[in-house]
Amino acid sequence: MENAPQYVIEMNHITKEFPGIKANDDITLQLRKGEIHALLGENGAGKSTLMSVLFGLYQPEEGEIRKNGEVVTINDPNDATALGIGMVHQHFKLVDVFTVLDNIILGAEDTKAGFIQKKAARAKVTELSRRYGLKVDVDAKVEDITVGMQQRVEILKMLYRDNEILIFDEPTAVLTPQEIDELMAIMKNLAAEGKSILFISHKLNEIMTVADRVTVLRKGKYVGTVNTCDTNKQELSNMMVGRPVQLEVVKDEAKPTDVVLSVRELCVPSHLHKKDAVHNVSFDVRKGEIVCIAGIDGNGQTELIHGLTGLDKTSHGTVTLCGQEISHASVKQRGINMSHIPEDRHKHGLVLDFTLEQNMVLQRYQEPQFQNHGFIRFDAVRKYAEGLIEQYDVRSGQGPITVARSMSGGNQQKAIIAREVDRDKPLIVAVQPTRGLDVGAIEFIHSQLVQERDRGKAVLLVSLELDEVMSLSDRILVLYEGEIVGEFNPKEITVQELGLYMAGAKRAEKGGEQA
Amino acid sequence: MKQFFGKEGTKNVLSSLISILIGLVVGGIVVFIVGMCTAKITPAAAWDGVRIIFAGILTTGRDAAGALTWGFNAANWGNMLFRATPLIMTGLSVAVAFKTGLFNIGAPGQYLMGTMVSLMLALGIPSDVVPPALIWIIAFLGGMLAGAVWGALPGIAKAFLNINEVLACIMTNWIAANVVTWAFDVSNFKNMVENTKSGYIYKTTYNGVATPKLGLNHIFPGSQVNAGILIAIVFAILMYILMNKTTLGYELKACGANRHSARYAGIHDKRNIVLSMAIAGALSAAGASLYFLSGNTEFFWSTYQSLPAIGFNGIPVALLALNNPIGVVFAGIFMAMLDVVGMQLTNLTAYNEYITDVIIAVIVYLSAFSLVIRMWLSGKKKKTANTAPAAKPKAEEPTADAVVAESAKGGENA
Repeated sequence: MENAPQYVIEMNHITKEFPGIKANDDITLQLRKGEIHALLGENGAGKSTLMSVLFGLYQPEEGEIRKNGEVVTINDPNDATALGIGMVHQHFKLVDVFTVLDNIILGAEDTKAGFIQKKAARAKVTELSRRYGLKVDVDAKVEDITVGMQQRVEILKMLYRDNEILIFDEPTAVLTPQEIDELMAIMKNLAAEGKSILFISHKLNEIMTVADRVTVLRKGKYVGTVNTCDTNKQELSNMMVGRPVQLEVVKDEAKPTDVVLSVRELCVPSHLHKKDAVHNVSFDVRKGEIVCIAGIDGNGQTELIHGLTGLDKTSHGTVTLCGQEISHASVKQRGINMSHIPEDRHKHGLVLDFTLEQNMVLQRYQEPQFQNHGFIRFDAVRKYAEGLIEQYDVRSGQGPITVARSMSGGNQQKAIIAREVDRDKPLIVAVQPTRGLDVGAIEFIHSQLVQERDRGKAVLLVSLELDEVMSLSDRILVLYEGEIVGEFNPKEITVQELGLYMAGAKRAEKGGEQA
Repeated sequence: MKQFFGKEGTKNVLSSLISILIGLVVGGIVVFIVGMCTAKITPAAAWDGVRIIFAGILTTGRDAAGALTWGFNAANWGNMLFRATPLIMTGLSVAVAFKTGLFNIGAPGQYLMGTMVSLMLALGIPSDVVPPALIWIIAFLGGMLAGAVWGALPGIAKAFLNINEVLACIMTNWIAANVVTWAFDVSNFKNMVENTKSGYIYKTTYNGVATPKLGLNHIFPGSQVNAGILIAIVFAILMYILMNKTTLGYELKACGANRHSARYAGIHDKRNIVLSMAIAGALSAAGASLYFLSGNTEFFWSTYQSLPAIGFNGIPVALLALNNPIGVVFAGIFMAMLDVVGMQLTNLTAYNEYITDVIIAVIVYLSAFSLVIRMWLSGKKKKTANTAPAAKPKAEEPTADAVVAESAKGGENA
């Protein structure tokens, strides 16, 4: 089968233009039957556009799509489905209050005289689930099952529709290390059964583990297709970024000194339920170290940071910053000694309808250098913004007067980093600072955080990415269900072991006492 | 030329002008069809109606032969400016609230509270003790304060209890209508002397209080115009400066555009929401004060069953001006012009006053399309719009004459 010259899907010389930009410029992607083919590229490289073309959401200006050698036209997603193309989206498209079975058959129900034939459907789903090793509880409601199982439901949805070509869009972003391993096994299993898989990712580890071949895109252009067995991570990232990239974080041993932030027995109530989202959490962050809070999303990280930064009220415990108790201080008072790179750059980090320069002075517009008797000094704001843009290489269409909404995610994040780092506060709280960013931007942000640490700042990092946790932090605190269940030195723990703590399967003695 | 059309300001003005023109054209078509369908209106009279829709502000009457005469009608222009005054203020009220992310549908209630407090102060303070000029100032400020308080109430509900401001505003509107009716009912400001009319409050001139004319009555003889229009324009400029040049405006806009990031940045979002609504309320109430302190307007006090249309008309004024305070001045004058045009239609043709309301409604409705047209223009001009500096005040200046010139142009065409 592997030797058959026939490609199951060919996208030849695809060009797709949007006003002012070529999103895809002469891109060729050939998918063999039964292979796992990774599509690698930075944000804005054109991966999503290419997949949208394959799905019939966009019509290319040039190029052709072939299935099994025959030219096909795909005018809308229904055509794509008819051709056996299915997709697992990054954010699952499931109905929370429906059962797994109902979700799987939704939109493809077999009916007899208007009645759904659930018995037959159940048999088919059970058979598929057994055959491909996709363990699901068909009668559970989607809202009650784990993220990993939800993803298996999405995969079953595609299989139920007899799709032959499966597209996975950044499937591992929401999974724990153990779940990622399971997914990799499932994907290999599917490929072995003859399904062809397109795997969109910018995580090199996963691509090297699971993919047979990789097609790399850069800035809308086709860079090349290589066999994973003939290449390595460094080469792939260089292809993706277009220059040699520093994959590992370069940093010296941390030299922590005085305590900057001290948290004692902090409790933060949850917005979702009556219990505390953060329960009796205590830790210190010292000058010159990067402390990372690791954990699976939704284990109290957001609430902990909101409690620390003043966005939410705390119910118990104390927070001391630079010797001052700030447990009940306003956001503004806390801002005197703290800068905050927020988790959600659209919700908190930026006023999207403001210009870049207006966003650059979001906390500082009242400082004397930017205002005179209540009137904004526009020239000073402009000059300051231009300085930051230059220094941090924030790229945008119109410079300081670009509306933040129109900027790319990476540059939005760079703008926030620039603003927060330049405020020059003793403590930097960085929540998922590299989420959704590509290798080049991640490299930049990591080096900035390490640089700030070396300048004597205390850095509190919250990350869901284990690679980031392991490479960037000097000390790791694992948060599970709102409690710290362990404190580790990244050099003395493996990713696998850390994953067990994150999933709640293990609990350190010390953490147990605290909780 | 390309650069001029690429500017945001140009696009904004153009979109409003296009939608006004579409509104006028549709209004003209409606007038023509109604004329055709009505037995007593001849085709010639229908054609007159269409011409008045486009250029009613320039009609002076009919000559001996019965044909429409055109020219500068000072009384109409003066009345247009007089009627524009409260519209500009309520328009500012809605626009400022919009800019800060709030929909102030409470302008009618704020307008009524401003009316009540202004009139009570103007009529209640004895003018033999306090000079009328001082009474005017006290009444004006008192009215504004009342409106600010009335506007702040829904603001407080929104900020602290997360109650939608639209809901709270509608409630406070009707509370205001009933409070005002009750307060005047038990007062002794009811004008019982003039037997032909009932239910009105004394004119403030009864107590010697009236807005100064500042010579405007010489420019527009025979009209009600006074310095109120100048005060409204000053308010518009102040609001423009507040919203665009000051740190307070920055805060208010930040809260409106993204309450979460404002909170993140340490801005007091709750205080600013209340403040926005208080400013909006004060502006609406100031419109009422300027209207009723003019000295020759009467207030129908038994208003518990109806809300003042001027309050609601602030919404289309603000929409038409795309929430730009300077644009509000011209949008307000345009709306007042439609009023005058309506009167001309009633006076000079066989159309009755109700059809003029229909026409105005059609025009206002289509004027609200300016956002759609703006999007269409932006889509068209995207490629040329890359290096346009945001020189807003300069770009907006020509709007002024443009709106007025629009109607003049219409007249020439007709």
